[in-house]
Amino acid sequence: MTETLTSKKLAITFFFCLIALVAVMALCAVVGTQKVSLAKAFSGPADTPGKNIDYEILIGVRLPRVILAALVGAALACCGVVLQAVLRNPLADPYILGISSGAGLGAIIAVLSGLTWSFWGGSPIAVFAFIGALITVWLVWCIGYLAGAGKSQVTTLLLAGVVVNAFFAAVIMFLTSIAKSDQVHSTIFWLMGNITEKSQSVLWVSAACIIAGIMTLFTICHRLNVLTFGQDQAKALGVDTAATQITAFALAAFITAIAVSLSGLIGFVGLIVPHAVRLVFGPDHRRLLPVSAMIGGAFLVVADTIARTIVAPAQLPVGVITAIAGGPFFLILLAKYSRKVSWLK
Amino acid sequence: MSDILKVENLCFGYTPQSAILKNFNFEIERGSFVCIAGPNGVGKTTLLNLLCGLLSPEEGYIEVDTAPIDSYSVKKLAQKIAVVRQEFVPVFDFTVKETVSMARTPYLGRLGFETKPDINIVKEALQITDTAQFASRTLANLSGGERQRVFIARAFAQDTPILLLDEPTSLLDLKHQVAIYDLLKTAQRQKGKTIVAVTHDINLAAQYCEKVLLLGADRSYRAGSTENVFSTEQIEKTFGVKTFTGRVGREKFFIPLGKFAKDCPQISKNLNSEKQK
Repeated sequence: MTETLTSKKLAITFFFCLIALVAVMALCAVVGTQKVSLAKAFSGPADTPGKNIDYEILIGVRLPRVILAALVGAALACCGVVLQAVLRNPLADPYILGISSGAGLGAIIAVLSGLTWSFWGGSPIAVFAFIGALITVWLVWCIGYLAGAGKSQVTTLLLAGVVVNAFFAAVIMFLTSIAKSDQVHSTIFWLMGNITEKSQSVLWVSAACIIAGIMTLFTICHRLNVLTFGQDQAKALGVDTAATQITAFALAAFITAIAVSLSGLIGFVGLIVPHAVRLVFGPDHRRLLPVSAMIGGAFLVVADTIARTIVAPAQLPVGVITAIAGGPFFLILLAKYSRKVSWLK
Repeated sequence: MSDILKVENLCFGYTPQSAILKNFNFEIERGSFVCIAGPNGVGKTTLLNLLCGLLSPEEGYIEVDTAPIDSYSVKKLAQKIAVVRQEFVPVFDFTVKETVSMARTPYLGRLGFETKPDINIVKEALQITDTAQFASRTLANLSGGERQRVFIARAFAQDTPILLLDEPTSLLDLKHQVAIYDLLKTAQRQKGKTIVAVTHDINLAAQYCEKVLLLGADRSYRAGSTENVFSTEQIEKTFGVKTFTGRVGREKFFIPLGKFAKDCPQISKNLNSEKQK
């Protein structure tokens, strides 16, 4: 008989995944076009800037970037897990409720308006993308709610997301077509997903928000398990479905909006990581969410390392790597596990 | 014996113009096995959804275990009533044990981990329903009968005094239909559970249930013992089909007589002998 998931077993699994993530982060921080001496780097900062270059590269540049990639990867993977469960749709990803188009529209408006200010270390693109993503999700929720006759129907929400995405995509295309070429280039680069260095304050505030959001999502995981059986069954099993859905959507939208404002639109992570983890560890969300956070983080750290080294000294947008690497990786998993899983048959 | 479910002047319609249920009044005794029968579209599942709190009545009052149904939170109501729906395959591949363990959701703490007593209750439910043998298999890899047994195991593990079932045997073969009803009857007798099942199978209902709520297409209903309510005339009036009613010992059975029934010599013979009487 299969064993019941206890908090102790989960803690052990989480601990090993965390060690794996930290190991991947450490390894990827060392890898780069500029070789660094670990001994020199760990000797601490020099009195004058530029003297201990190894320290500045490793601790000042690569480590924050690796942490940022891990955070964004964890955020996207967790939001994918939650939205796939709440929408009962294996094809759902963090951008399904219109976040991608909303953030994209916000970003292109910021580029076209030529703003140069910075808000708490965040660029206009990041700030506008964050606001655009949240407004869009709110709009999608309102349309879905009204179309569903006062109920948060999954199908109407999905359709509202598709319609808003399509409409905003058209507006983005229009704005891109009238923009100058240098503006278009920076927008497209952002839309492809790109991990770049952020200020310390942005990094730590985002980290706190993302980690707090994921921890809150963890408290509804047992209810998400039941919700995948449908609203009627979930209610019969004592789950307040409306409260669970609103919590899940609101937190997923908020976390995704932060991730998007940090790194642009990085595809595939939120779709394939939850499936890959589900195929190996099973669909229990109490385990799926924390393990996906670790694996998603590790995946994006590796992808970003490849993106910054493969065509060095130039850098690729990390979204290109996640799509190129993620697709075949997922196909391998699919071939290996498809016999076990019903919705793949 | 006291009533565990009480319905007074219950009215419900999905639109204001069309009432499906009008002025329903009935009580269900604690520890009884009751079936809700009737033709398609008369509101059997709607009534079940009202009894489990999924729908709210337009007018009237529903009492669950001496308290109004709307005085219960979703969690507290799930500790009183378990519901088994028609056969179903979930989106993601939960194993049988994971599925049955979800029955403990109304009892779990903030982080949602089962305690030792929860694990023991789940184990017992798997054993009673004979589903422990495939506890590690996923629901998608089970037959319809096995899957239905899993959902009944989940309802047992929910450890509620009331069990509501919506056509629990609609997609099953004869052997599995009988197995499911045997399981429910055993739970009624050994655990004192109150069982309310929506069914189209009046033969199984006549055999296993003490009471019946027969809903008619004209929005009328009859409530009473299966012996009294399931008469040849009442079945014909409710379903619009002639039936041959017979007995084997104390068990009543009904054979629906279609257009070509006279071609069956055995039934013709029985029909003639009934006419002569």
